[in-house]
Amino acid sequence: MSEKELSKYGEGVGFERIRRITGYLVGTIDRFNNAKRAEVNDRVKHGV
Amino acid sequence: MIVTVKKRDGREMPFNIEKISAAIEKAFRASGELDEQIKASQDQLNLLGNDDVLSSTALQVAASAVGLLEAEGKVKPEIEEIQDAVEKALTEGGYADTAKSYILYRAERTRIREVNTRLMHTLRDITFSSAKESDLKRENANIDGDTAMGTMLKYGSESAKHFYTMMMLKPEHSRAHSEGDIHIHDLDFYSLTMTCCQIDLKKLFKGGFNTGHGHLREPKDIRSYAALAAIAIQSNQNDQHGGQSIPNFDYAMADGVRITYRKAYLSNMVKALILLTGKTEEEIQPVVKKLHAEMAEMGMVATLVPNEKFVEAEARELSKVYDTEIVMKAQKFAEKMAYEETDKTTFQAMEAFVHNLNSMHSRAGAQTPFSSINYGMCTEPEARMVMRNLLLTTDEGLGGGETAIFPIQIFRVKEGISLNPGDPNYDLFKLACKVSAKRLFPNFSFQDAPYNLQYYKPGHPETEISYMGCRTRVIGNNYDPTREISFGRGNLSFTSINLPRIAIKMKSVDLFFKELDRMLQLVSDQLMERFAVQSRRKVKNFPFLMGQGVWIDSEKLGWEDTVGEVIKHGTLSIGFIGLAETLVALTGKHHGESEASQELGLKIIGHMREFCDKESKRLGLNFSLLATPAEGLSGRFVRMDKKKFGIIPGVTDRDYYTNSFHVPVYYKISAFKKLSLEAPYHALTNAGHISYVELDGDPTQNLDAFEKIVHHMAKVGIGYGSINHPVDRDPVCGFVGVIGDCCPRCGRSEGHAISEAKIEELRKLYPGMPAFKGIR
Repeated sequence: MSEKELSKYGEGVGFERIRRITGYLVGTIDRFNNAKRAEVNDRVKHGV
Repeated sequence: MIVTVKKRDGREMPFNIEKISAAIEKAFRASGELDEQIKASQDQLNLLGNDDVLSSTALQVAASAVGLLEAEGKVKPEIEEIQDAVEKALTEGGYADTAKSYILYRAERTRIREVNTRLMHTLRDITFSSAKESDLKRENANIDGDTAMGTMLKYGSESAKHFYTMMMLKPEHSRAHSEGDIHIHDLDFYSLTMTCCQIDLKKLFKGGFNTGHGHLREPKDIRSYAALAAIAIQSNQNDQHGGQSIPNFDYAMADGVRITYRKAYLSNMVKALILLTGKTEEEIQPVVKKLHAEMAEMGMVATLVPNEKFVEAEARELSKVYDTEIVMKAQKFAEKMAYEETDKTTFQAMEAFVHNLNSMHSRAGAQTPFSSINYGMCTEPEARMVMRNLLLTTDEGLGGGETAIFPIQIFRVKEGISLNPGDPNYDLFKLACKVSAKRLFPNFSFQDAPYNLQYYKPGHPETEISYMGCRTRVIGNNYDPTREISFGRGNLSFTSINLPRIAIKMKSVDLFFKELDRMLQLVSDQLMERFAVQSRRKVKNFPFLMGQGVWIDSEKLGWEDTVGEVIKHGTLSIGFIGLAETLVALTGKHHGESEASQELGLKIIGHMREFCDKESKRLGLNFSLLATPAEGLSGRFVRMDKKKFGIIPGVTDRDYYTNSFHVPVYYKISAFKKLSLEAPYHALTNAGHISYVELDGDPTQNLDAFEKIVHHMAKVGIGYGSINHPVDRDPVCGFVGVIGDCCPRCGRSEGHAISEAKIEELRKLYPGMPAFKGIR
């Protein structure tokens, strides 16, 4: 395998990020509608 | 002279004065302004006919309109110009009322035209844009809007919405919906079906069932129990527009484990005796099989935790044929092996169940079924085996280690059963916490919350609290108080109120409540209208839900019967969104930052609940108050309110309204305080609710904190809750957990490549690593 081929392992592949949308899950965030995406971005962590 | 007219699309058509006079005639009929003259002409026995006055007057007006156009030098008038001239001619002719109805007629035609154009625009958007660009295609994230079937579903859905808005809804409901005062959920299914159902699997499995495409026999081991559970969910999903839930997963699957164990015990007993006695299978098998069958008839069967009665009777009988010592040894062997085999089979069954629910198709392949399962209360060893293995397979993830999206798992928490050390299912509760800390599921439901506990009768699983994964809750029953259960029931339809808008418009608290009352009544009327439509549906319209007796009492109905009576067990729910923004609009502060606002918030939601209770009494049905899930709705109301009222800080300044009664997601607050503030709303929202908190980092590293939060939920009276944390996955190396800018396992950053050698090295460390399929 050439050096060039080697470097393509995973190229262009993003991380999958699953978030609870509203009680249920729907897969990764890219499936969320615009409003829900905005909401997820605004979520702050709650201290314990 | 006018010979042609220019149509709206630019085409020129021959001019026809009769078309104009026909429209004017309609206006005269609507206004009634010529009625007296017509009557007079009839009284005079005018031989020219009744319509003569009408048509001749209409023609006269048309002629003067044409005169007006010609006087302006219009040779090829446009439609709008002709209509302007007609209005003028009517007014000048002294027909003021008719002019008014002509204007209304024009407006109506314009509306219909615009709706059609809008529909075409919508269909074009669906056809030519990808889900990435089109918000419409991501309205429901569980439907893949990019696929052929997903697109076809969207065509149907959008066209149906237009149709119902135009033709079926009362104009005041239609207007309130399209202007964003209210939101009628699942409008595309308005005339077709109800929302959801809690499927009693035990009842369904008895004697087998028919999916509509073939009969399935009563299942005979845990594998077929699990497979049929998935099929039941899938079949019912096609009869309803909402989700499907199993309220008794633990109890129902335990039956499958029992049968599997019995079979495994028998076969292992035979094996042991073959080995220990040196006899052949043909000699031994019939003896043991016959004995087990006879004992079963007397109520003695092999059980996962061996029962004395069976063990002793079996030993006694077999000792008549074989050496006692051999029999005792064989029993020990069979018990051990049967347990191990049953455990393994149960794991495989649960694994397949989860895989099935994440891959099987519903709704023409556009979606996997929206499925939920409730469990946690059954303490029998067979049920515990089911739950443990279900949790273990959930922990492992799907084939490539991915987090399963379905089923939504809901673990029931109860003191004395699962909540505290020493409780029989406490070990499972601990495991549930560990799995949820990694996979976001299970969620937790709280049987001891007073509003849930009031229905609970020990020994009656149908009275345990069940949630539909999204949050829907059906248990109280005003229509039939002897059936306060979850099995076989569900929501019929729900409509949400735009609370922030009322607050923005009314400003004062007093006026707010007045307008809220008006809106509540409007929604109640709308729900009843829809209920009437739903009631006229027949059993044959729901081949599985009603035809197989899934819905409560539907087994008493015939194929052609209407479902009106039995669906009275369902709920009609009034929902809401944006309590936080409402409180900011009214008082300047939301309930997270001010005690007074919390008090007002509880007053508002309490008032809405009272209204629902009142309507239930008045109408003999089940009205309930819903903390709307609002996936699609989160942005819709605020978009419209922004246009109408501009940007109001803390109210319309974001792209979403805050979910139901939640403290805003952007507000800094501790997990415990948030839950304590939200819990009282759970007691009021009897149609369903959920609270969640956001944890930082990887909670699997701090399971104590995780468990503490669940305990706090139980303490403060949360009904249904869950804990959020980031679940990221690198599809290249299979790492699941929190990923910042680069993957903690393989070290690559988003979109970047790593070397094949590195992957091989990692594979030695993590043998379960998925085979990466992609560009390489």
